[in-house]
Parts: sequence; C-alpha cells; structure tokens
Amino acid sequence: MNKTIYVIAFAILFLTAFKDEKKQDESNKIYIEEIKNHHNDGHGSMVNNLSENTTKAASIQNQSSTSEIIDAYLQLKNALTEDNEKKAAEAGNAILTAFSNFNISQLTEDQHKEYVEIVENAKEQAEHIVKSPIDHQREHFEVLSTDIKDLIALLGIETGTTLYETFCSMYNNHTGAMWLSETEEIKNPFYGSKMLTCGKVQKQIN
Amino acid sequence: MKVFKKIGLFLLIVFVCIQFIPTNRNQSTEILDTDITKTFKVPQNIQTLLNESCYDCHSNNTKYPWYNKIQPVSFLLERDINQGKKELNFSELGGYSNRRQKSKLKSLMSQVKDDKMPIASYGLMHSNAKLSESEKKEIIDWATTLRDNLK
Repeated sequence: MNKTIYVIAFAILFLTAFKDEKKQDESNKIYIEEIKNHHNDGHGSMVNNLSENTTKAASIQNQSSTSEIIDAYLQLKNALTEDNEKKAAEAGNAILTAFSNFNISQLTEDQHKEYVEIVENAKEQAEHIVKSPIDHQREHFEVLSTDIKDLIALLGIETGTTLYETFCSMYNNHTGAMWLSETEEIKNPFYGSKMLTCGKVQKQIN
Repeated sequence: MKVFKKIGLFLLIVFVCIQFIPTNRNQSTEILDTDITKTFKVPQNIQTLLNESCYDCHSNNTKYPWYNKIQPVSFLLERDINQGKKELNFSELGGYSNRRQKSKLKSLMSQVKDDKMPIASYGLMHSNAKLSESEKKEIIDWATTLRDNLK
C-alpha cells in the first residue's frame, strides 16, 4: 500500500517537472508593444487641442500642484535632518500621493515628456524611501533632489515661495550632493546630527 | 511510531500536491533592442561578471539550477526573479530615459559596494557569483564611467 503511494508520488513529481514551460518570449513581445504604444499614444493630440489661454491657466494650477510635491519633499528633507527614518518613510508616501494628485493633462506637449521621465524616476526613489533603512533613504533622497530641482526648472514654483539650492561637498566620498531647502540656515539631510551644518547655499530659487 | 508515519505520509502528500502549482519560466533567447549591450559598451570582463552574478535575476534569461522545477523551490525562485527584475532588468535598461538609467546605475554601484548584491542566498548555491573586491571595483568603475557619460 505504502509502496504504491511512493511510486505514484514520484511519478507525479517527474510528470510535473517536465510540464510545458511558458516561455518568456511572449511577455517580451507584450513589453515591446507597450513601448511602441507609449511612443505614439494619443496624449500629444489631446494637448495640442488646448488653446493658449487654457495653457496659461494651467500653468497657474500646476504651480499649486508642484507646491504639494515640494512640500512633501521638504517634509522628507526635514525628517532626514532629524535622523528620523519613520517620518522620512511617511514623507515618501506623501510624495507619492502628491505625484498622483498632480494633474498631468494640464501640461504642454513639450513639458509632458520630460515630466513623465522625471516623475517615473522620482516615484521609484520615493517607493524605496518608504521601505528602506535611513542610509538608503539618503541615497535615494540624493537622486530625488535632482529630480525635484529639474521639475521646478520645468514647471516653476508658486509665486512668493523661495527655495535654496544647497550643496554638501563631503557626501559620496567627496563627490558632493545637492538638496533643496526652504531656509538659508544649513541643516544637512545627508548626515543629520553627525554633521548638521555641513554645506553651503549655492543658489536661490524664486 | 504510527503517528510519525501518518505525519510523514501527510507531508509527502502536501509535497506532491504543491508540485502542481504552476510557475512561469524566465527564459528567452531573444535579445531585445532595449538590452544593455545594445546601448552601452559592455567589455568582456564585465559581461562575464554580469552573466555569472547578476543575470539570473536581473535579465529576461535565467540559467536555472537542476532542482528548479521542484516546488517549493520553483515558487521561491520565481518570486526572487520577479523582485529582481522589478528593481533592475539588464534586458530593458537600454530603453529607459537617461535619468532613470543614471539612477539605476547609482543603485547598482551602491548595492555592489555594500555587498548587498548578489544576495547571500544566491551565493549559497552559486559559489562563482560572489564578487571579489577586485571584481567589485571593476563593476563600480565601469558603471561610474557609464553614468558620467550620461549627461
């Protein structure tokens, strides 16, 4: 009795081991299709239909939405200056929310492509910030800082807001790294309490 | 004694049943236009290191070990491969924006430098995969040059 069970068991094991394999090629093809579709998607034509007036109105709205993104970024920056991993993770989520609240249909065609590239990258950084230990959060914060800086260059910030582009030349084995701050006073998010005042303001963004 | 036999039999049945859980295989002979080798210069020494230490989880073509079709191994492998490809897929890296390529290369360097990659469980079964200090340096130098050229 027992022997039969063992025999059957191994027979099944062998059968399943040689069952048909679903090859990767199929999913590759789907991926290529996706890329193709992405390049000629209908978005451009939709944007073209916007009259100039609506584009102007849109840029005002964009400013208020970038301010949500910038606020979330600053929240992250401040959590890192305080060496607070948990708060930084929460800020990572806030950044993801801010990006999904952003009204992408208001962008001009020229802005659209770069916006998508920036956000795709920035979101990935934010996702890692949500789930990583603080030293990794800081590595991703460095990349994110460049993304946010470029986003501001692309879309501007709300009138009356001032940001400071600040540089710490020690981080990354002295290659240095940039971050954005709402104050001129230096509080270093890359080192936190270890070297809180390392860095200097390089540029003011209005 | 009888109890042990029953438990053994039960485990055997479970083992046999889980063999029916299907898994996808990550294998492809096709080299996509987005493959890293089509966009970047990958010298032979680097290619060998990538093949041995990275490609099983970070490309569309895994060289499966002999025990790969036995559950729950298949399931665990599939999970690791999906996770790995989500973070970095050398078969698709060439198709990303410069911005994204740069941040992927940065993460690659940091993972290799901190010995986070290849993961320890992979090294257990693939003794060749572990990178020596000089191999780590080769990869990091190569990735640094690539990244610096992406302005």
